[in-house]
Amino acid sequence: MSGTGPDGNGRAPGEPAAWPGTGDARPPLGRVVATERRPNTPHEFHFWTALDASVGIGTIVRVEGRHAINGQIPTVYGVVVEGFGYTDLQSPLYDVLSADGSPAQASRAATERTEIRLYTAAVLRQIPEEPLQPVPIGDVFLATDEDVACALRMDAYLARSGIPIGLYHAGGTDAPVYLDADFLLGPEAAHLTVTGVSGLATKTSAVEWLLASIFTHFPAEKGSIAAVCFNVKGPDLCFLDQPSVDLSDADRALYAQLAVAPDPFANVRYFAPYTPRGYALNTLRSHEALAHNVAPLVWGLREVMQFADVLLTREDLDAKADALVDFIREMVVGRQFTDGMLPRAYEVQSFADLDEWFRDVLRALEKHNQESWRTHHVATIRKIRNRLSNIAQRCAGLVTNDARVSDLPWGSFVDRTVYVIDVANLEEDAQDLIFARVVSKLREHLERRDLGVNHVVVFVDELNKYAPGDGPDTYVRKMLLDLAERGRYLGLVLFGAQQFRSQVHRRVVGNAGTALFGRMDADELATPGYAVLSPAVRTRLATLEKGQLMVRHPHFTQPIFVRFPRPPVLSGRIGAERFPQAAETSLEGAVTRSLRVLDPGITLEWVKGVTALYEPAEILRARANTERERPTDVRAYFKAQFRAVVPPKPVVSQPLGVPIRAAPTDDPYGF
Amino acid sequence: MDASLRSAQRLLDRWAPTARSTDGFGPTLETLPRPGESPRLVPARTVEGGPVRARRVPGAPEVAFGAFLDGTQQTHVLRHECTVPIVFGTAAAVVRVRRNRRLVTWGRGPLRDGRFYVPRALVSDAFWTQVAGLGAMDTGAHLGPDDQGIAPDGVHPTSLAERALHFVQAKREQLERTLAEDWCRTERSPLYIDGGISGSETVARAPCSVGVVKAHRTLYVGPDDLPVLATLGAGERTTAFRLAVGRRTPVLSWYLRCRHAPGREPTWGLVRVEVAELDAAAVTARADEVSRWVLAETAPLALPDPRWHALAYGIRDCEEFLRAIM
Repeated sequence: MSGTGPDGNGRAPGEPAAWPGTGDARPPLGRVVATERRPNTPHEFHFWTALDASVGIGTIVRVEGRHAINGQIPTVYGVVVEGFGYTDLQSPLYDVLSADGSPAQASRAATERTEIRLYTAAVLRQIPEEPLQPVPIGDVFLATDEDVACALRMDAYLARSGIPIGLYHAGGTDAPVYLDADFLLGPEAAHLTVTGVSGLATKTSAVEWLLASIFTHFPAEKGSIAAVCFNVKGPDLCFLDQPSVDLSDADRALYAQLAVAPDPFANVRYFAPYTPRGYALNTLRSHEALAHNVAPLVWGLREVMQFADVLLTREDLDAKADALVDFIREMVVGRQFTDGMLPRAYEVQSFADLDEWFRDVLRALEKHNQESWRTHHVATIRKIRNRLSNIAQRCAGLVTNDARVSDLPWGSFVDRTVYVIDVANLEEDAQDLIFARVVSKLREHLERRDLGVNHVVVFVDELNKYAPGDGPDTYVRKMLLDLAERGRYLGLVLFGAQQFRSQVHRRVVGNAGTALFGRMDADELATPGYAVLSPAVRTRLATLEKGQLMVRHPHFTQPIFVRFPRPPVLSGRIGAERFPQAAETSLEGAVTRSLRVLDPGITLEWVKGVTALYEPAEILRARANTERERPTDVRAYFKAQFRAVVPPKPVVSQPLGVPIRAAPTDDPYGF
Repeated sequence: MDASLRSAQRLLDRWAPTARSTDGFGPTLETLPRPGESPRLVPARTVEGGPVRARRVPGAPEVAFGAFLDGTQQTHVLRHECTVPIVFGTAAAVVRVRRNRRLVTWGRGPLRDGRFYVPRALVSDAFWTQVAGLGAMDTGAHLGPDDQGIAPDGVHPTSLAERALHFVQAKREQLERTLAEDWCRTERSPLYIDGGISGSETVARAPCSVGVVKAHRTLYVGPDDLPVLATLGAGERTTAFRLAVGRRTPVLSWYLRCRHAPGREPTWGLVRVEVAELDAAAVTARADEVSRWVLAETAPLALPDPRWHALAYGIRDCEEFLRAIM
């Protein structure tokens, strides 16, 4: 009765087209059992199968009841969460005795003991849903595609807002599993976390694949969508616009089944600060062949002051210091500022301007022998001057002393575009500043609905680090908490990845409507957050293969295991080999490389000729202006950025005039 | 308790509402102490020449049995019509065939029978009419050629219950016999039958049937041969003898010690094997061959069954199967 067909699960020759009373062409896989000691409940049931049945942890099954309730035969869907196997052996000693202590002899016994495969399944859905009763005794069938859709309640949103996340695979059933866009990207629920050990192509790969799926399937009527990804380590996200070279046939089949083209992202823009020297961009994507869509990320005083709190420690930012920072932000930066005590009017646009302003304020205080200015004590002024002035040094390459700026295209974000900000090689302060400002700006623009797109996915890896569950309450963590708690109303969605979910702030993970789990570390699985999972599910999580995920989603009452394809983009490791990072070069070489993106005809000799007379700061400023303006005539514009300098002329020796006659030594008057 | 027993109980509630009810279903009659057959020695004629002696079975144990057959029964007194016990008996038998070293049910499945066992002459016509419609068996009838029916003092309630028990037992044997005969007609591989095979001529003459008897209230040796039996070592058998009991079909039989039994009672690990008669010249080879087959079934152990020392795992599997469906 319990046997499967000769093909494992399919129908054997001569079997009926439909199993009596079920409408299922396949024979039952198992049978529900319930005992007083192990009863069925409305949320859990037990069934046994043949020893060779295609059932494992995560398999979705359907139970057909035998007795109608309110005129309807109940159907129950469940997912296997635990398995047991045992024989009629009551003591291991009996087996030893049977074999005279020889394992080899035991395996030669004429008959194998009666053995059972008993599984526990968690209920996914009951039909009818009312009255909710314990799972009835009945035949158990492997879930079909339609069963999977029904069990996971995907039938309610599949046509409206389904986003493929992967393929459920068990016993010959390959059923696409969809997330509900309304619950993944808002407004009903939102946010996603990915957890898994490093190096097993889980977190980054899963997010890359999911972004491709979202860009393909996000319904047009729900608006436009873009992604902002922070590349926090290595070359992980540096080649999103390059095609993958290791997609297998199986991967391509998965793409076909999930209706996503296995192509790299068509629109990707990269942003990276400069190295501290300021010559080249601080990114692993510095190969000349890939430079066309890489832009510098450079901020000046105005951009930084708004987020000065990020760079000031709690010790720095007491109430008095906070008041002074607010004053400078509101009254000084970017405004005409005059004060009777100061010698002139100021318009502070850069860190250099600010430092000059500080210097004059302190001089004035000394001159007038005062200890405070506008209620700010001189010690506070000195401290804040010290802290703010060295921001440009602490975030060198990102923050400039002058007023030049190169930023993300606020207000002109493009639908289905990925904006990657490479912060992998930056100091922690600079990373924090970038996170804080970018996310805040996204939020501001989405609130004003002038970003250019309606939804933005923000992908942050290493949430352990940026939103830890313990440690000081940093500005970045507060910002991520705010995003997690309120972002969905704005269309601002956080995709976070971390190795240890238990170490991420619980309000961040708690607000994530969808959670993906790759292979997990055993220590992590031992933490209380995973106690809701059965030991078997935890074991499976600890042994998941590459390309497999466990998915939790608001519509799924239990976690579901799916397969997903390799991402359609060049992996960071292979990309770094194919497009090696450009060597650190001279100033002229770096400028040449930058300008070639705008005008491929520019040569190093030309750049050397133009810049020979100028200081590095002037050359960098000219490059920045040219990159920002992107003029038609790059050469002319670049040259025009330099002040005119008269080249020095060589000194020509001229013949001396008639020598003055020497005075006679005996004639002191010269006569 | 199985569904048919409950159905029987419900029917009795309807048909004989005034009958004296028992206290629940209670234990089956099979589990109640009852006077057994007296232990005895019945010397048999050896067919291998010479007196009864120990013979070592040559060669290693050999897996040959294709299936195992056993039956079971359950007998309950449900009511008393005055002093007459109304008995409901269930009998079943099954052949479990070995495929890929695992045992599965053979053929059309097990044979089951459940019915009332009532002495017609001692109950009302109305009641008999009711139960007869369901195939009730009259325990007042003759059980066999030697049965005299219910003696005048046999109307004692306990005697009537024991008589019903014998009828249920006969039904079980009939089911077992039916299956064994079906097997012998259709299959070729050896069938391990729990108990003797002489009750059916078809089975007793079939080359594929092997009966293995674990109970030894009757020992087919003389008093002088008992030391041989008692000192029989593991893997040793006695000289084969011809067994012809009453009207039963004569068979070839011998004792075989399945396990080392030092310090244990004489019949521990001892079975008596029955096979079809054959030419005297072929007896030794046949006895050795079948003994090797039986010895191959000593593993896995049938623990925790108390008869594990002589019970083959395949027979225990039959019992467990029947217990599950009864």
